[in-house]
Amino acid sequence: MATQTEVVEGTARSEDGVSAAEEVLVGRSEPVTYEDVVEEVAPGEVEEALQEPGAVEEAHDIEEAVEAPGAGGWFGRLRSGLRRSRESVVGQLNAAVAEFRDVEDEEFWETVEEILIASDVGVTTTSKLVRELEQEALERNITSGKELRALLVEHAARMLEGPVELDVSHRPTVILMVGVNGTGKTTTIGKLVNFLPGSAMLAAGDTFRAAAIEQLQRWGERTGAPVVSRERGADAAAVAHDAVEMAKRDGVDVLLVDTAGRLHTKVNLMAELDKVRRVIGRRLPGAPHEVLLTIDATTGQNGLRQAKMFNEFAGVTGVILTKLDGTAKGGIALAIANEIEVPIKLVSVGEKAEDLHPFDAREFTEALFGDL
Amino acid sequence: MNAALDGVRGSGNLTEDKVKKVTREIRLALLEADVNYAVVKEFVGNVRERATGAEVSKALSPGQQVVKIVNEELAKLMGGTSHKLTFASRPPTVVMLAGLNGHGKTTAAGKLALFVRKLGKNPYLVACDTYRPAAIDQLQQIGLELGVPVYAAGTEPSPEEIAERGIKAAADGGYDFVIVDTAGRQVVDLEMMEEIKRVRGAARPHSVLLVLDVVTGQTAVEVAQAFQEYADFDGMILTKLDGDARGGAALSVVSVTGRPIRFASEGEKMSEFDYFYPDRMAGRILGMGDVLTLIEKAEQQLDREEAEADAKRMMSGKFTFEDFLKQMQMLKRMGPLSGLLGMIPGLNKQLQGTQIDDRMLGRVEAMVTSMTPQEQRNPKLLQNASRVRRVARGAGTTQQEVQKLVKQFNEMQKMMRQIGKGGVPKMPRMPF
Repeated sequence: MATQTEVVEGTARSEDGVSAAEEVLVGRSEPVTYEDVVEEVAPGEVEEALQEPGAVEEAHDIEEAVEAPGAGGWFGRLRSGLRRSRESVVGQLNAAVAEFRDVEDEEFWETVEEILIASDVGVTTTSKLVRELEQEALERNITSGKELRALLVEHAARMLEGPVELDVSHRPTVILMVGVNGTGKTTTIGKLVNFLPGSAMLAAGDTFRAAAIEQLQRWGERTGAPVVSRERGADAAAVAHDAVEMAKRDGVDVLLVDTAGRLHTKVNLMAELDKVRRVIGRRLPGAPHEVLLTIDATTGQNGLRQAKMFNEFAGVTGVILTKLDGTAKGGIALAIANEIEVPIKLVSVGEKAEDLHPFDAREFTEALFGDL
Repeated sequence: MNAALDGVRGSGNLTEDKVKKVTREIRLALLEADVNYAVVKEFVGNVRERATGAEVSKALSPGQQVVKIVNEELAKLMGGTSHKLTFASRPPTVVMLAGLNGHGKTTAAGKLALFVRKLGKNPYLVACDTYRPAAIDQLQQIGLELGVPVYAAGTEPSPEEIAERGIKAAADGGYDFVIVDTAGRQVVDLEMMEEIKRVRGAARPHSVLLVLDVVTGQTAVEVAQAFQEYADFDGMILTKLDGDARGGAALSVVSVTGRPIRFASEGEKMSEFDYFYPDRMAGRILGMGDVLTLIEKAEQQLDREEAEADAKRMMSGKFTFEDFLKQMQMLKRMGPLSGLLGMIPGLNKQLQGTQIDDRMLGRVEAMVTSMTPQEQRNPKLLQNASRVRRVARGAGTTQQEVQKLVKQFNEMQKMMRQIGKGGVPKMPRMPF
C-alpha cells in the first residue's frame, strides 16, 4: 500500500476542493481483490474439534468492580480508575506527608518529585513545581505536611487552569479534530455529538485508515448525526469542503471534522492538515472555530512534542485528554499546560457516549494526588 | 550533559564521585525518555555499581566511559533471548495480539501477516474485536489489500467463540499461520481483562504478543504487568517507532516482565515491520546519539593512532619483542594465521608450499613472554648465553630454538628498517 504522504499542492485546485479528491488516489496501489474473505463455520463443529481437556479455562472470579464509594459522576469513575495504580504513590505521599519535618527535608521533596514523575509530569515541569512549592513553603513558613499537600494541589491546579469552554456560538460552528494515530479522535467525535448542544453533522476526513469512514458512520447511526463522506483515499480537504457546504445549507449547529491520525514528525502529513484548515476557512471565514487535539492519557513525554507540533501546524485551541479511565494518570497534561500553553478543555474517561466532560483542573489534580 | 562528560581522558579508574555525577545525568535522560522511575532507580544503581572502579579506556573521558557502560547495559537488558519467530511443528502456528486501545493491534496484525508471508508462510487473520465500531471492517480491508483471508463472524458471537472457529477455519483451509486480533482494552477494566484470558484459553496460541505504542509513559509497567497476568504474553510488538518518542517504555516493560520485544513497527506502509534490534533502541532511549557517535569515533581513533604509532616504530627499526608480542596477540584475535595470510594479495604466491603452523605461534609467544621486559625491549641482551638458557627453560624449549628466534627477529628488524627507508627487501624467513 502506498503511503499517505501524497499532498495535493496548488491552492488553485483545492479552491474548488472537489477536483482534488481524485489526485490523492494516484500513487496508491490498487487493492488486491480477494473473494474468499469470510468463512462461516457451524459452531457445533468447531467445539467438537477443539474441545480438549484443560483447553477451556475456568471462569475466573471477577474481582469486585472497582467503585469509589459515594463518589458519583465522572470524577468518581476517574478516581476509581486511578485508584489501583495510585495506591502505591499515594501511600508514599501519605508517608512523606506524615513524616514531613521541615522545608529542608530533602527526602520529602524527593518523594514529591517521584510522584510527579511517576504520573508523567516530566522532569522540567516537576522541577518547576517543586521549586515553586519549596520557595513558597519557606516564605510562608509552612510546617505541616497537610498544608504542604494543599499547596501542591493548588500549584498544580493553577498550572492547569485555563478556559475550558468550547466556542460554539457560530452557525455552523466548525470543530476540527486532530491528533496522532490511536489517540481516540473518532470516538471522541461520537461523544462530542452528545456533549454539545444543538444539531451536529460529521465529516469523515480520515480517508486513509482502513474502515475509519465506517467507524464514523457507526457513530452517526448511534447518535443520529448525518455523516458526510467520500470514498477511502479521497482528499480529506475535499471532504471538509463538502461538509462545510452541506452544514451551511442544512443549517446545522456544529460540524465535527474528523481527520486521519498522523505522527507529528511527518511534515507532509502535517502540511495536509494545514490545507484542510485552509479549505474550511475559505468556505466559512473564521472557521474552524475550534481545533481540538486528542492526547492519550497514557502518553509519556512525547505528548509535549505532539502538542507543540500540532499547535504549530494546525493552531490547536484545546486539548482533549482521552482514555483517562485507565491506569494512566495523565500527568502529561500538566507538562503541556506548562510548556505549550494550550488549555486542556475536555477529558474522556470511558467507552460510553456520555463519558466526555469539561476539564476541571482542581478535580483532576485532586485525583492525581489522591484523597489524603 | 556535556559538562558532566567533560574531564580528563583516560584517567585510570572511574571514581565513585565521577560515576555519581554522570549517572545523575543519565537518570534524567532516562526519565525524560519515559523509562519508569522505579526501573530507572534500579538500573542506575546497577550501572553505578558496575562503573565504579572500572578502567577507563585511553580514548575516552570518564564521563564517556560511563555512558558507554550505560549503553551496553541497556542493549544487554533489551537483548533478552532469541527474537526470531518460531513456528509450530504442527501447523497452524497461532499468534494472538493484545494491548490497550489505539496502540495499533489491527495494523500490526496486517503487518505481521505480510511479514510471515515473506517467510513463506500462508497467513490467516481472525477478527475478534467485537467492540470498537468498524474494527472488523478495518481488518477485512487490510486483509483485502494484502490478499490475506480474514475470518469474521460479526459482533454477535463472543470473541472466544470467534477465535476458536477462526483457527479451525484456518486449519481446515490449509493456512499455517493464524493471527488473532483482539479488542483494545484498559487494564482497570477487569471484565475485559477476564475476557482476554478466556480468548487466550480458547485460542491456545503458541505466542501472545503485547502491542505497545512507543509513546507510552510511566504506566507502561502497570499495563505490562496486568497483561502478563491475564494474557501471559511472551513478547512484544513496539509500534509507531517512526515518531520521535524516545521509547523508554520499552525498557520499563522488558525489565519488569522479562519478556523481549520481538518486532518493531514503524510507518503507515504494511511492509514497515521487522524484527526488533535492541542496540538501536538503546541509543534512542538514552537520547545521546551525538555522545555515542563520539565515543565510537574516539575508540576507532585510538585504535588507528596506536596502529600508526606501532607501524612508525617498526619502520624506524625500533621494533622490539614487546611490539612483536602485541602484534602476535592481535593476529591471534583475527583467526587462524594461515587463512589470514592467504587473504593478503601477493603474499599468497610466496607462501605457497610453506606450511604455517598456528601452534608454532604459541611456542613463539611462550618464548617472548619468558623474556624479561628489558630483554623484550632490547633484544641485544639475548646474545648472553645464560639469558638464552633461562628463556628456553621458561618456555619449555631448547636453547637452539630461542637462538633461532632471536636471529630471525634481528633479520625482521633489519627488513623493517629497509621498508621504512623505501627499499623492498627480500622476504626473510619468518620465525614461524
